[in-house]
Amino acid sequence: MAEVTTASNDDPLESRAIERVKRGDSGAYDYLVSKYTKRVVSIAWNIVRNAADAEDLAQEAFVRAYETIGRFRSNERFGPWIYRIVTNLSLDVLKHRNRFRHEELTTAEPAERRDSADLQATTSEIMDRVDRALESLPEMQRIVARLSLVEGFDHSEIAQMMKLSEGTVRSHLSLARAKLREKLADLYE
Amino acid sequence: MNEEQFLDRLREDARRLRYEADAFMTVRIAARVRERIAAQPPTVSLFLARWLRPIAASMTAVALAACFSIVWFERTSMESATFDTLSADSGIELSYAGDSYRVGQ
Repeated sequence: MAEVTTASNDDPLESRAIERVKRGDSGAYDYLVSKYTKRVVSIAWNIVRNAADAEDLAQEAFVRAYETIGRFRSNERFGPWIYRIVTNLSLDVLKHRNRFRHEELTTAEPAERRDSADLQATTSEIMDRVDRALESLPEMQRIVARLSLVEGFDHSEIAQMMKLSEGTVRSHLSLARAKLREKLADLYE
Repeated sequence: MNEEQFLDRLREDARRLRYEADAFMTVRIAARVRERIAAQPPTVSLFLARWLRPIAASMTAVALAACFSIVWFERTSMESATFDTLSADSGIELSYAGDSYRVGQ
């Protein structure tokens, strides 16, 4: 299991905000929410692939982080911590969804959860192909590949966020890459 | 195209698949988080931070002041006691014809 990151915080405003929140000044939490909201929503969306769910998950992640901020060291970076919380919450939603699908949709095809308005950016053919190729991967490979390729996290960060070993992350990523290369062969030749 | 080039190009294209929350969504999330935080009772750690820490700090200050006072009081009373003892002990003893005579100062 990967170690919890203890990298020191290079943003003095962030350290100060965390310290103030710990002392009971909830207003200081706004700084952290505004700094990380976009990234947190993007991580959640890349796992659950639904804008409304991603918004709810981001909100829940920030509330959970606030409730447990007493355990957080002020000089640590807030980012890896909130990313880990939102990843875990998103994975729980997926688990719940899979169970629900298994029970409900034994005869029918699973409903497409992706909102057409969600993918504002995927207008080009290439992006659409890459997106479809990523979506076709098995669940864990898909999540690891999205966190790595789309969100730009490295192996150790993904391992921490998903509570996996770095070796497992590497293995998922390697399988995902091979499949993506096969699926996108014509695009990248 | 080798593996490295493939990955570079794939990363470049995949990065554009990041979800960009619009301004309405970010404002909505911030507002809801603020609302939920305000509505909930303070956690144990926040309660400690708000109330017990200042109380503990005040009590520590009082205890320190008391300690310093006691030390100061003991020192001053010890100094006067030593002076008294010295005064009591510093008598003059004289011997004359086999008899001892003591005179206190």
